[in-house]
Amino acid sequence: MKIAVCYKLVPDEQDIVINGDHTISFDKAEWKIGQYDLVAVEAAMRLAEVAGGTVSALSAGGKQLENSKLKKNILSRGPVDAYMIIDETMSDADSYQTAYVLAKAIEKIKDVDLVVCGEGSSDMYAQQVGSQIGELLQWPSVNAIGTITLADGKLIAERMLETEVEVLEIPIPAVISVTSDIFQARIANLKDILEAGKKPVVRWDLDDIGGVPEMSTNVLSVLAPPQADRRRVIIGGDSGDQINEFYEHLRKEL
Amino acid sequence: MSRVKDVWVFTEKQESIAELCAGARQLGERVTVLAVGSRDRIERIIAFGADRVFYLGDTGADRTVEDYAFTLSKLIEEEAPDLFLFGATKRCRHMAGRLAARQRTSVLSDIMEFLTDKDEIQGTQMVYGGAAVRTLASKSATVFSVVGSGVFTSLPEDADREGDVRAVDFVEPAYRVRCMEKRERGGTSVDLTAAKRVIAVGRGIAKEEDLKMIEELARLIGAEIGCTRPISEGVNWMGRERYIGVSGVMFKPELYIAIGISGQIQHMVGCNQSGVIFAINTDTAAKIFSQSDYGIVGDLYTVVPVLLEKIRAAR
Repeated sequence: MKIAVCYKLVPDEQDIVINGDHTISFDKAEWKIGQYDLVAVEAAMRLAEVAGGTVSALSAGGKQLENSKLKKNILSRGPVDAYMIIDETMSDADSYQTAYVLAKAIEKIKDVDLVVCGEGSSDMYAQQVGSQIGELLQWPSVNAIGTITLADGKLIAERMLETEVEVLEIPIPAVISVTSDIFQARIANLKDILEAGKKPVVRWDLDDIGGVPEMSTNVLSVLAPPQADRRRVIIGGDSGDQINEFYEHLRKEL
Repeated sequence: MSRVKDVWVFTEKQESIAELCAGARQLGERVTVLAVGSRDRIERIIAFGADRVFYLGDTGADRTVEDYAFTLSKLIEEEAPDLFLFGATKRCRHMAGRLAARQRTSVLSDIMEFLTDKDEIQGTQMVYGGAAVRTLASKSATVFSVVGSGVFTSLPEDADREGDVRAVDFVEPAYRVRCMEKRERGGTSVDLTAAKRVIAVGRGIAKEEDLKMIEELARLIGAEIGCTRPISEGVNWMGRERYIGVSGVMFKPELYIAIGISGQIQHMVGCNQSGVIFAINTDTAAKIFSQSDYGIVGDLYTVVPVLLEKIRAAR
């Protein structure tokens, strides 16, 4: 089975700086692989290890994708190779544009049986790209997959909905989005990291895959959320008197 | 704020139909609910505020909700609604994404507030794990949106309301996923968004059995219990429906008591609209204190038993 696992590079939200006018800045931010995407890579690897097959990593984005540390990072987690569509347009792409470009790349890679996506991107977390890739390829797609096995050429998967679990039979080729807790992402060892440097990386421009549609949304603003005014009465210790003081405040609200 | 003409609503949960209908009536002139399931639901859907119900049919052994994507897609092509609202469930999210892709557009996800202005629909959403609020305008003919839970308040049910009902023919899906079995998910299906008082716990709780003390406190003051993501997804001490934060519950109870919670932004976005916030944490520097009304720097294993004693004594 040939599996493509999608990932996105995102700025580390810990490095976000809030400017005086409430706008935010990523100028000092480190870039990282989305945390849910690392889980998706693990799910793809586990399935390939059990069911047989290979995993390719796939991403579309801006110049950060060229970062050799991040290239090694993704490949040290098991994929045999990586495909990257690099264009500055893609660093602000909306979910439809992203899904469109990834779907075109999957067609170009050829013979992909399964596309695995994470629960959502760590930055926008719209949780849409997997569902949209499926529709663009006209393949069945499902989200919220919590377990997955291969039997008789079909995927048997459990889908974790809010109050119920569905056991599904998914014909391949297909696109699945996995839950954030399907597996814990592995930690690569030194050997994996060294080998990752030798694995092939295929780089495509937007022209190679036939361009990208226009954005379907306009971003009007991205601002730090307004902080609610709080009283901030903080009692500095937990002696009997201090707990009593805390209790008196609480009692008035009960 | 001007209103758009046609707003459609799709959601699997009866409770959120009322909320979404109320929202659709605020935003649009005509509200249409696309209903899958038992036919008996239709009258109530109209009572909740729908002007029209497109009845798609019922699910069964050989037909899932997902199989209706092709039927819905055809309806969108024919009727071109201005705005299509979906509930904030996994199933609805997936359906919204698929239908939007078929119309070559993105979904406005987890919208907290809508603005309809100059024939344009705008929405705000949390991004970067809650560190920022983004306002977006959609450029598509039909705007697709997953509405954050609790964004709209249901209108009182009006049994005298009248509405049109249209049965829609099923469109055979070109590809589909078969559901072989369904079972209840473990844990209770608590709806934290309905709770007036909530106690939330984080990693300050050392052992699962220590939750008993928290449960006792919750029982005494009539509160529900919630938690941070590591408690529900890391150690699995509580179900996912109790996890408060950016990808979990977001709500505004009257009273919020954070116990052993550091106050990471990913958690705080779920609860920072609460009426009054109390915090118990050993770390003076914990972020939670700058976002609380009352805090105590102390060991929860010292503070909570004393609180229990005092609350019991006061009853």
